Amino acid sequence: MPTPFSTDISPEKPRARLIKGALCALALLIPLQAIAVQAESLTIYSGRAERLIKPVLDSFSAKTGVRVELLSSGTTELVNRLKAEGDRTAADVLITNDAGSLEQARSAGLLRPLNMREVERAVPSQFRAPDNAWIGLSGRFWVIVYNKTLVKPHELRSLLDLAEPRWKSKIAIPNSGSEYLQAGISVIRATHGDEKTRHFLEGLKDNAGSEVYQKSSQIVDAVAKGQVALGIVNHYYVYRHLAAQPTAPLAVFMPDQHDGGMGAIMNVTGIGITKASKHVDSAKLLIEFLVAQAGQRLFADLDKEYPIHPDVKADPALIERKSFRAAQVPLTKLAELREPTLTLIEQVGLR
Amino acid sequence: MTAIYRQFTSPLQLIALASAGMIVLPLGYVLSQAFSADPAVWSRLWTTRIPELVSNTLWLAAGVAILTVLLGVSTAWLVTRIEFPGRRMWEGALVLPLAMPTYVLAYVYSYLLGFGGPVESLWQLLAGPQARIPSPHSFFGATLVMTLDTFPFVYLLSRSALLSMNVSFDEVARASGVSRLATLWRVTLPLMRPSLAAGVALVVLYVVSDFGAVSLLRYQTLTYAVYQQMTGRSDNTAASILSLLLVCMALVFLLTERWFRHRSRFYQTTGRFRLPVRDRYGWMGETLVTAYLTLIVGAAFGLPAYLLVTWSLSPEAQATVDDRFYGFFMNSAFLAGCAATVGVLIGLPLAYLANRKPTWLNLGCLQAAYAGYVLPGPVAALAVLVLCLHVTPFVYGSVIVLIVAYVIHFLPAGLQSLEPAIQQVTPNLEEVARTLGLGVRQTWRRVTLPLVRNGFVVAWVLMFLQTMKELPATLLLRPVGFDTLAIRVWMEATEEYYQLAAPSALLIVLLSLPTLVLLVSKDWRSGAEKL
Repeated sequence: MPTPFSTDISPEKPRARLIKGALCALALLIPLQAIAVQAESLTIYSGRAERLIKPVLDSFSAKTGVRVELLSSGTTELVNRLKAEGDRTAADVLITNDAGSLEQARSAGLLRPLNMREVERAVPSQFRAPDNAWIGLSGRFWVIVYNKTLVKPHELRSLLDLAEPRWKSKIAIPNSGSEYLQAGISVIRATHGDEKTRHFLEGLKDNAGSEVYQKSSQIVDAVAKGQVALGIVNHYYVYRHLAAQPTAPLAVFMPDQHDGGMGAIMNVTGIGITKASKHVDSAKLLIEFLVAQAGQRLFADLDKEYPIHPDVKADPALIERKSFRAAQVPLTKLAELREPTLTLIEQVGLR
Repeated sequence: MTAIYRQFTSPLQLIALASAGMIVLPLGYVLSQAFSADPAVWSRLWTTRIPELVSNTLWLAAGVAILTVLLGVSTAWLVTRIEFPGRRMWEGALVLPLAMPTYVLAYVYSYLLGFGGPVESLWQLLAGPQARIPSPHSFFGATLVMTLDTFPFVYLLSRSALLSMNVSFDEVARASGVSRLATLWRVTLPLMRPSLAAGVALVVLYVVSDFGAVSLLRYQTLTYAVYQQMTGRSDNTAASILSLLLVCMALVFLLTERWFRHRSRFYQTTGRFRLPVRDRYGWMGETLVTAYLTLIVGAAFGLPAYLLVTWSLSPEAQATVDDRFYGFFMNSAFLAGCAATVGVLIGLPLAYLANRKPTWLNLGCLQAAYAGYVLPGPVAALAVLVLCLHVTPFVYGSVIVLIVAYVIHFLPAGLQSLEPAIQQVTPNLEEVARTLGLGVRQTWRRVTLPLVRNGFVVAWVLMFLQTMKELPATLLLRPVGFDTLAIRVWMEATEEYYQLAAPSALLIVLLSLPTLVLLVSKDWRSGAEKL
């Protein structure tokens, strides 16, 4: 039987071939959209470093059989992406390293309010949204990490002191795109006001010079090597470094604990289910897993964070949680504080 | 021929118009967003970030330009004017650095020259334990890495200029009693000027649009800042403004390159042309030349490649070479394959029409397709993103967006090979075939296709490999589950897990090596951008 393509001279052919080729290429692209959306699979947008969250998610998959598709990227980038994708998003769950970003996503109507008894039992109310559209998972503090051979703890008191000229060229800081830097500065603004904060940022910028890093792990590394004397990071990067290299001359200073000090700046990582999610049950399963004692222990042991669950203990290497104060700025306020903070950061010209 | 025109014109025309639109519209959207931005945002950026960013970008461009000329011209002169053992081998080896993506070289050097790194330890053995070397995370580091990565562009252009130059000019100068050095300075170099200018403009274009190296070396340039703005802010206004500046800057260098490339055509020598005679300089000279070339090729390729291999063989790295790694490789191959195929399919009608029916419309479409040259990765990503949000929100977050960004970005490189391939085929050949009794389809199959096939293959391979290495647009637009080799390198390298980044990096380098053969033997200019 002659195939329809075996006819002899036909002027249509080159064009037909071209079009066929184009169609084939398109056909290749389309099914891929479908692959990501399968039953018993959760798509997670995660703003946390992959090496910190993937082990936790892997143990969830192992326990429940729910497959996890992970997109690791920047928190702000992912919130932007969720906004843009709207109802069509493939994401079922958003995990971030910053409560302010979650609150922003919630107020943009991207997250789904939840009514889960497990959550209310495990997570104190100051660590979640009023409607539970986002839920804190683990706590972290913005601390000063210092090299024990270069700095003595009595030289340190408040984060704000780090703007003094004596720290010139001795300090490493995260870059201005980092969500926890933005959150930290928001807290300082809310406590001390714009003028004092601006003064602080200008000094900090001068002192840091080109020691401005994209990743906290790099800052800890630089301090450990003595490239700089101290840095501002989230506490767990220091303890993770010490767990891998116990002899590193690193120590943590919990700032602003003096009389009249604002207290240490706290932030939480958190999770929310997207409004558009079609796998709400699996997503709830994930939340249940993460807030339960076993899940919380993973954050404490693997990541060296402070668990949110009141009955789960932090790693004994960490500074005892009860021994220091946290700043009195509610996490939910971080969202509204953020835009003016970004403007201030830009005016000062932080990198 | 008229029959062929009629068959092709209307649908081809539509495809060409649509492709040109697909490329120009995103650019237009970004620019209009920049122009319509609140003046307050403009003035804030202007008083804070812009001066630093622009001057950093220009300083880096200037530094790299000067050093690449020094390295490029000296190496080209050595391999064309001096005879020494292994000369032909060095001629090829000097192109090898092009196989290293800038971000790979950057992360190798941030290890080598980093605080407490091997180079510093060596230096401390000599100069005492307190001695420090300058940090690679600086102007110095960025300049060094970009120079080592891009000098082969200048080398290739200078080499072909030196080979095609009539040696009589030099001889006349020497016969008139001008010294060897003065001849070089007063005769040879001025004759090479157009090639040098074209090479430098190309290098600068490359430096200005680089994202990988500057982000790993933390050197703030406009391209890096666009990326930071896109990932750190909730609106894209500031990113658009910086993109506008970047596009203007890139356009200046692109036009410079074209202008000089055009001028360089005028200086082909005629009449009594002789190839230069290669001098010999005895064993001392030979040793010096070999040492110099070893140093350069070693620094730009040998040492980094050695480190990548050692790191890849470490147990930590071996543990990451599993199914997941294979998945990243497949993702890279799939995305690059799609982008290259779409690129060739789009490039064909554009090049064909502009060549066979050079109306202002068709030529305009072709020129529009070259817009990718002035759209660095983050800007191409931003452009596609902004357009997609306004016009086709339903494809946002899918593979299609990413592929469109790739095609916009890399089509110029493909067109550089497609265009000459189509120009080669004069309509006469097709007409002859027709008068000898072949049908349209047979003419196409037996005459046209065999003649253009090579150009197509080259274009496809070039676009494939450049897409494979692409970083910023992939970072910004990749859909869920589409991490590529380049993404893995970047993720590990930004946290300084050098060993873990090595297997992916090594694979990219190995896959890039075959393109170099294409570059050297075919039209090397095609690979100029982002190779």
